[in-house]
Amino acid sequence: MTDQQVQDAPQPLPGLPPGEDAIITLRNVAKWYGDVVAVSDVSFGIGRGVTGLLGPNGAGKSTILNMLAGLLAPSAGVIRVMDQPVRGNASIYRQIGMASEHEQLYGTLRGREFVHMNAILQKVPNPDQATERAITVVDMQDAADRKVGGYSKGMRQRIKVAAALVHDPQVLLLDEPLNGTDPVQRASLIALMRRLGDEGKTVVVSSHVLSEVERFARSVLVIVNGKLAAAGDYRAIRDRMDQRDHILRLRCNEPRRMAAALIAVPAVRQVTIAGEDRMIVETSDARLFGVLAPQIAQREGIHLLELQPVDESLASVFSYLVNTT
Amino acid sequence: MTMLWRVLPVTTLTLRQFTGGRTWRLVLFLGCIPAIFALIFLLRPWGMPAAPVLRGLFRDLILPTLLPIVILLPATAAFGEELEDDTLPYLLMKPISRVRIVLGKYLATILVTISSLWIGLLVTTFIISRAERVTGVWEQLWPMAAAAAAGAMLLAAVFILVSLIIPRALLAGMLYIFAWESLLGRFLPGVQAISSRESMQKIYQALMDNDASAAGQAFLPMAVVTVIALVLAIWRLRSLQID
Repeated sequence: MTDQQVQDAPQPLPGLPPGEDAIITLRNVAKWYGDVVAVSDVSFGIGRGVTGLLGPNGAGKSTILNMLAGLLAPSAGVIRVMDQPVRGNASIYRQIGMASEHEQLYGTLRGREFVHMNAILQKVPNPDQATERAITVVDMQDAADRKVGGYSKGMRQRIKVAAALVHDPQVLLLDEPLNGTDPVQRASLIALMRRLGDEGKTVVVSSHVLSEVERFARSVLVIVNGKLAAAGDYRAIRDRMDQRDHILRLRCNEPRRMAAALIAVPAVRQVTIAGEDRMIVETSDARLFGVLAPQIAQREGIHLLELQPVDESLASVFSYLVNTT
Repeated sequence: MTMLWRVLPVTTLTLRQFTGGRTWRLVLFLGCIPAIFALIFLLRPWGMPAAPVLRGLFRDLILPTLLPIVILLPATAAFGEELEDDTLPYLLMKPISRVRIVLGKYLATILVTISSLWIGLLVTTFIISRAERVTGVWEQLWPMAAAAAAGAMLLAAVFILVSLIIPRALLAGMLYIFAWESLLGRFLPGVQAISSRESMQKIYQALMDNDASAAGQAFLPMAVVTVIALVLAIWRLRSLQID
């Protein structure tokens, strides 16, 4: 292969394992509203299985999902789903299902009617059968004849997923589907997402909860400030997050003596006394420090009152990723 | 109902929204307001003949004010409610053309408005016909119904378009009704010529005079504006961005 051929060859898309076919592709996609940039030059590929779209609130996840769904036109770049454009291509919707983050539904319809309406609009051959199947999948049989206006948040999430699934789409876009669900509903929806992924469907699930994504997504796209901060295997990204320096707040009855003991620990980079009974510790290995600190306190006869991460918010983790990408 | 869902899903959904909320009840009430005046006339006729009273109600109350409001409420709600509560993607993300979506909503709107207006006109005419000196009352029903239907057809398309373009379509529509149709349209000849009220009055008068040709001539520009408004609404829906 000549240098020119190498240059002309399409660049592998972030997020897509080598050799895997992309079902969804975004190339240099941007979206801006006047001077405000919501999504900036984002490129990635998504294959089969469950992919988590992870990012803090306002990062641009919903904008990306809405562009994937054809509801928004990108200001720049190209989006293709199953090798077809989405915007203005009504026929592609036979292959796409979406449950948006918005809570409002047609309040005057009953749950079964809402799902049935989606089946009819999707031109499903047997809408009655498809409706019952989708309602059963999300375990909403008992509440299906109640008006959706009276549903709890978790029930709304589930009926939205049923409506998105009713035509058995190849691509499923779920915007924060676990919001408002109780632990049982959450476990059930996660199991459903994983099962759909295992069946070979492309499931894109947005979430701002780091620990949540681990439960359903193998592959993750991290979006921060409208940019792709990281893409790929969840575990690899999590390991990178763990490798950064962490800042912890420690409270004890003798902070000066505790600080002197802690500074000898190799994983501790800096200790700052921050009051009568507290100190701020910067460490390169938060997990190890979490094990060592109580042991040191016990050995020195110091009462450890509190040990808490200061910068564990999602935003700080994402900032770290952005700065190191 | 299931059959309706299958044949006209968008229309059925929109009708369910109208009947499930307050829209249809409110529209029906507004459509029947002339019946209250008819009842007052029945109780206190002051020696007036019935036919001019009915004609006056139609020309001065129904055409410039009540009819546009009866159309405005469902027409702006047809898309407006879904845009406001973010449920429109449930329609847009389906393998159906934007033409079908707009026409489905339009059909639901004119079904609700025309039925409400016709019920109101029928009840009003019936009440007035119970008075004394009722010559020429029932003869007015068909021309009034036809003129109202033509007005509903035109204004529903225009208000649907407006609701897809500006967020406060209901307010804009009210301003239009009270400023243009009710106030200016009454006094300024230039405004009269391009107001829906004037076109509806021409249809009513032509049908009263059994002049089908004049009625057709009055209807034609209304039909043209209706088609233009619907085409623009379809174009607008195609370019609409939902965030």
